[in-house]
Amino acid sequence: MTGVLTEAVARLLLAPSLILAAAILVKGYSDVGDGFTAGVVAGLAVLLQYAAFGYRRVERVLPVRAAVGVALAGLALALAVAFVPLLWGAEAVTHYPRPAEHVVHVGTVELLTAVAFDVGVFLLVLGMSVGAVDAFARAAGERREP
Amino acid sequence: MVYAPLALPWLLAAGLAALDGRRRSVGWVAAGTLTVHLAALAWLGLDVFLDGPRETVTGGWPAGIGIVLRADALGVAFAFVSSLVLLLALVYELQSGGSSRTFPALVLFLAAGLTGLFLTGDVFSFFVFFELSMMASYVLSAHGGEARQLGAAFIFAVVNLLGSFVFLISVAAIYHVTGTLEMAAVAERMTLVEPASAIAIAVSVFVAFGVKLGLFPFHFWLPPIYAGARPAVAAILSGAVANIGAYGLLRFGAGLLPLELELTAGALAVLGAASIVYGSAQALSRRATAEVLAYSSIGQAGYILVALAVGGRVGYAAAVVYAVANSLNKVLLFLAAGARGPLVGGAFALGALSVVGLPPSGGFVAKVELFLAGLEAGSAVLVALIVVGSLLSFVYMFQIYQHDYWRARPAEPASRTSVRLLVFAVALLVLAAGVWPEPLLLLGERCADVLLAEGGG
Repeated sequence: MTGVLTEAVARLLLAPSLILAAAILVKGYSDVGDGFTAGVVAGLAVLLQYAAFGYRRVERVLPVRAAVGVALAGLALALAVAFVPLLWGAEAVTHYPRPAEHVVHVGTVELLTAVAFDVGVFLLVLGMSVGAVDAFARAAGERREP
Repeated sequence: MVYAPLALPWLLAAGLAALDGRRRSVGWVAAGTLTVHLAALAWLGLDVFLDGPRETVTGGWPAGIGIVLRADALGVAFAFVSSLVLLLALVYELQSGGSSRTFPALVLFLAAGLTGLFLTGDVFSFFVFFELSMMASYVLSAHGGEARQLGAAFIFAVVNLLGSFVFLISVAAIYHVTGTLEMAAVAERMTLVEPASAIAIAVSVFVAFGVKLGLFPFHFWLPPIYAGARPAVAAILSGAVANIGAYGLLRFGAGLLPLELELTAGALAVLGAASIVYGSAQALSRRATAEVLAYSSIGQAGYILVALAVGGRVGYAAAVVYAVANSLNKVLLFLAAGARGPLVGGAFALGALSVVGLPPSGGFVAKVELFLAGLEAGSAVLVALIVVGSLLSFVYMFQIYQHDYWRARPAEPASRTSVRLLVFAVALLVLAAGVWPEPLLLLGERCADVLLAEGGG
């Protein structure tokens, strides 16, 4: 179904797509972007691998089996960031440092709890989309070649 | 305080999703979580009842930047009833041994989604929670995994995704014309919006929630899914998820778009009447219990719409009371229809009485409220419609009751005692609502006041 060209393009696109996703993820605070969009971009990059190589080859190369675990870890992280501030009486989804407080920079990346929240959303979206695609690809593949 | 009932099921759902839901302990942890969640909602409800609505803004931001969570009588009442239905259905499924790997976690996700949706004061986060609940429902509707359930789940997912899409368009339109997503501000600014745009928004909101509730022209997805799903799932879909439709029509129709609601009241009454007549007529012609109940839900949704069309304090109160009573009826009937043995027949009969609206049942109270709304509107047609609808439901409910419980049948093994006791307990709840109707009526009035205050009426 897929030719050499599709495979080459899919292979070439994987790394740049993941880097683009990472850029969208960390840029979300001063620029356009967020964890959800980043997760969708990264998920599409992995989906392209399924389309080009089939689920068997993808499973051999990429750690897609961990997708569900990644999704749950992401959900747990996002929920923790949202609800842990309640423990010391702050409102839910309160982010630190608060406005006008000092922010630690690593390069151009600002260290905020909001980043952790979006990393959680990113992992959730990526894990869910890859997990769903993997389940469907496996079911369809097993029916074709039992 | 507003956060506790929201955070609890969500956190536990994320934890339980990693575990195998077929293990008894996982199922019971989920049931325990829902019990604590219900207690938290009851506590919040008591507080709201005594001191009025509670509002909080996430992240400590000023309102308009942070997301507003708002617990008022209407939201808490719907959240409580829906979570109660979820708890009953979960325990029923655990006791009949039908739990699957994901079932307990999905029920908790649904509880988190529904609670968020009923307690949010923000139109967009309403959509987010709405999608969270619908995603859990899509997976739940395939629970059982047979071809019949998968087919029904597919129809359910496709139609409801279209409904969600229509709702997302309305959210975008609301933001476009009012410049805000906060419900209180939307209600205020909607009065200044050009009537043509406001009507277009009102119609698309109505279509979106009509699909969820299963009203007459949008009902076609409903019978296969209610008839095909396992009893506990059918109870969840008709008793908890359908509440999204009733609540949405009340909150958006009566709360945010009261002028448009008044303007289109005639059309709504006609659609409600069509729903009642169509649902009853179809139910009459069916023999399978689940199918009769499915068509009956289409008819019951019509009553809520008629009450909404009457409007005012009496109409809104009737709509709320009817929606609550209908949820309890549906959970009782679907669970009873899935069980066999002593006590179950009596429970089913009480549920049937409640659907018809005969004493001593919660349904009687709801029908009386509806009747009063009809008299308030001064419409003989409406009163006649309620009477005719009730007579039809009497015929179809007792037709299947006779068919299922009075006929000699090849002996079927009785369900476990715990299952039968659970069904009986739900029947007692419906009975209690009929014998001691004051709490339900008071609740209806409080909810109507909330809507009238919000709509500025």
